[in-house]
Amino acid sequence: MALWHRQPGGSPEAAQELTSDVVNPRALLLWAGAVLLLSLGTEDPVYRAIALVAALAVVLMRRRPGARVSRLLAWVGLACLGGVGLNFLLSHTGQDVVLVLPGWLPAIGGSLTVEAAAYGFDVALGLGACLLAGSALALVVDSQQLVEALPRHLHRTGAALGSAITLVPRLGESFSTVREAQAMRGWRPRGPRSWRAVAVPAVLTAIEGSVLLAEAMDARGFASGGRTKVWTPAWSGRDLVDATFAALAIIVFIAALLLGRVGGWQPYPSLELPGVDWLPLLASLLLLLPAIA
Amino acid sequence: MAATARFTDFTYRYPEAPAAALAALSLALEDGMTLVAGPSGSGKTTLLRCLDGLVPHFHGGLASGRVEVLGQDLRGVTPRLLAQRVALVFQEPEAQMVLPVVDQEVAFGPANLGLSAKVVRERVERSLVAMGIAHLARRRVATLSGGERQRVALAGALAMEPRLLVLDEPTSQLDEEGARALRQQLDRLVARGVAVVVADHRPQRLPDRGVRHVFLRAGRLSAPEPAPVWPLRQRGSRASGELAWEATSLGVGHERAVLEGVNLRCHRGEVVAVTGANGAGKTTLLRTLAGLLKPIEGGLHREPGRRAYLPQDPGALLHQATVQAEIQQTIRWMGLEGSGSDVTAEFGLQELTGQDPRDLSTGQRQRVALAAILVGGPEMVFLDEPTRAADQASRQALFLAVDRLAGQGAAVLVATSDREFAEQVGDLVVVAEGGRLRNRAPVPA
Repeated sequence: MALWHRQPGGSPEAAQELTSDVVNPRALLLWAGAVLLLSLGTEDPVYRAIALVAALAVVLMRRRPGARVSRLLAWVGLACLGGVGLNFLLSHTGQDVVLVLPGWLPAIGGSLTVEAAAYGFDVALGLGACLLAGSALALVVDSQQLVEALPRHLHRTGAALGSAITLVPRLGESFSTVREAQAMRGWRPRGPRSWRAVAVPAVLTAIEGSVLLAEAMDARGFASGGRTKVWTPAWSGRDLVDATFAALAIIVFIAALLLGRVGGWQPYPSLELPGVDWLPLLASLLLLLPAIA
Repeated sequence: MAATARFTDFTYRYPEAPAAALAALSLALEDGMTLVAGPSGSGKTTLLRCLDGLVPHFHGGLASGRVEVLGQDLRGVTPRLLAQRVALVFQEPEAQMVLPVVDQEVAFGPANLGLSAKVVRERVERSLVAMGIAHLARRRVATLSGGERQRVALAGALAMEPRLLVLDEPTSQLDEEGARALRQQLDRLVARGVAVVVADHRPQRLPDRGVRHVFLRAGRLSAPEPAPVWPLRQRGSRASGELAWEATSLGVGHERAVLEGVNLRCHRGEVVAVTGANGAGKTTLLRTLAGLLKPIEGGLHREPGRRAYLPQDPGALLHQATVQAEIQQTIRWMGLEGSGSDVTAEFGLQELTGQDPRDLSTGQRQRVALAAILVGGPEMVFLDEPTRAADQASRQALFLAVDRLAGQGAAVLVATSDREFAEQVGDLVVVAEGGRLRNRAPVPA
């Protein structure tokens, strides 16, 4: 019997419920690190936009079979829009004024400018790229695979983190179970206070679940000594290509930083097009390869 | 025989609990198999947690007296260290899953023991085969049914190859095949010298040869309670002929159909019981018929009327500070009249009305949840695994409550892996099997 072969098989329906092991978690960690470096290491919207596209493409094209992304994309989109909106409303800097809000309005009173919106857009690009790169870790490989991929001295922390990650979907599951059970019992949403009947049991159930989980981990000898790494992630040719290009992206971008080829971009006081240098551009384009290779 | 565990004048009280969960308990658990029985809230789970050191090391609280497990004084040994020789399966298997995929989950315990990867894999493979779930090895835990998760939890404990195996309600959600696999494994383990301590309300599903019995009541050793006498009732005489709901060529599932071509109807005054193997789609069918899931295909007609729904996890309903408030909450939401004292008495909750439902045992919580949804007499009732963790008295109370509701004209649907209960309570018993629903022979009058 070959329980340990990692190739999903059977019908498409069955494959949906099996885990995919297409991506080596270490290759993915390296790629995600490269996306974070490029998103945070520059304010140039061109490189950030490419990093965002790369992260989005990997989430959409390399996610596990059955992994749902629509809600994640909605939240990321909302966070990015929030970033744009906040900077647009709060910055009050720049020459090209779109609208002037009365000064008596706290915080948002004053001029709202094109430059502030553009800078907010730039921040949103970086934020979106970071969020999607982080999400890719959860959507492309299992949390346990990531934990196993960490160096041994980080294993205990990683295992706790991996378990914590599973609690987030548990809370969501609990919330929807409680809501339907209470609705069948006559509960109807009538204002914010009425949600207490759903929120309290959902949170209590999740907390009880966490405590029980911790108890079960204790009972099963977690952190009692050296834990065996059961799975040594295999490196496929594609993983090697992904990791190589991610490493190259990091090296090239750091070289570009050291050579002063990554120019900062500031839309203030008046909007200017961002400058593009071929060296950081190359680094950011290398990030796209895991999605298109 | 050597004592696997010895309790000497042991008293234990959970933090902030009004009374001791175990009181002056003196008891020797020998090698072989021991069945711990007793009503809900009698201290069975606490006793089992002592055997793993979780009580008192994990929970805190006040303890006096002495407990020795496998020759070690509990005061000097932690659960983590005991895990080298003791494995415990909790009452709620779904809450104890640490890792997202079945084979990883089963490997979690043995991997913590520092065994070689090869040995861990061999153990996992053996345990999955032993519990009849090798085909689930690569499945995500989140996609499994309650019974399948219970089997995964049992496989995880078997993979630790313990000297002492402790099981809390291990058959509560198992189908017949799962219970048979467990029974065989327990026989083998006992023959190999493994001590097994089990708390289960349905001991007939466990090995019966050479089993010692311990009966608890209110945290103390007690004489066994007599087996309940199931009351007789006239079957088939209550159905009014008035349709409550009807499914026609129904397909149910989440993204794909787990059951197809379902033709099923329920009249007022009728009890339909759906049983079948773990993962066969019983819960999905019940949730669809209750209106909580959209059918994938086919027709579903439901007459108007108040519906009551018991989810598999009764905790989903409980949020009030007391049992009494929990029942009154439904009365308020539904605009009913009365105090709910009838259901309080029906489910034997009179002495628990002032307690926080979440401080109660799993079986007691289930009774509170049942009382909370059934107060006031709903017209359509949908119960998902209602006998889970239910002791004999609770099962009987539930049987009588269902009988009363049907007698009052309610249409009742029960989804259960408890075949015995299904046969007892159902006017019609249908079996979910191989993606289809088939009728069992009509229940004799």
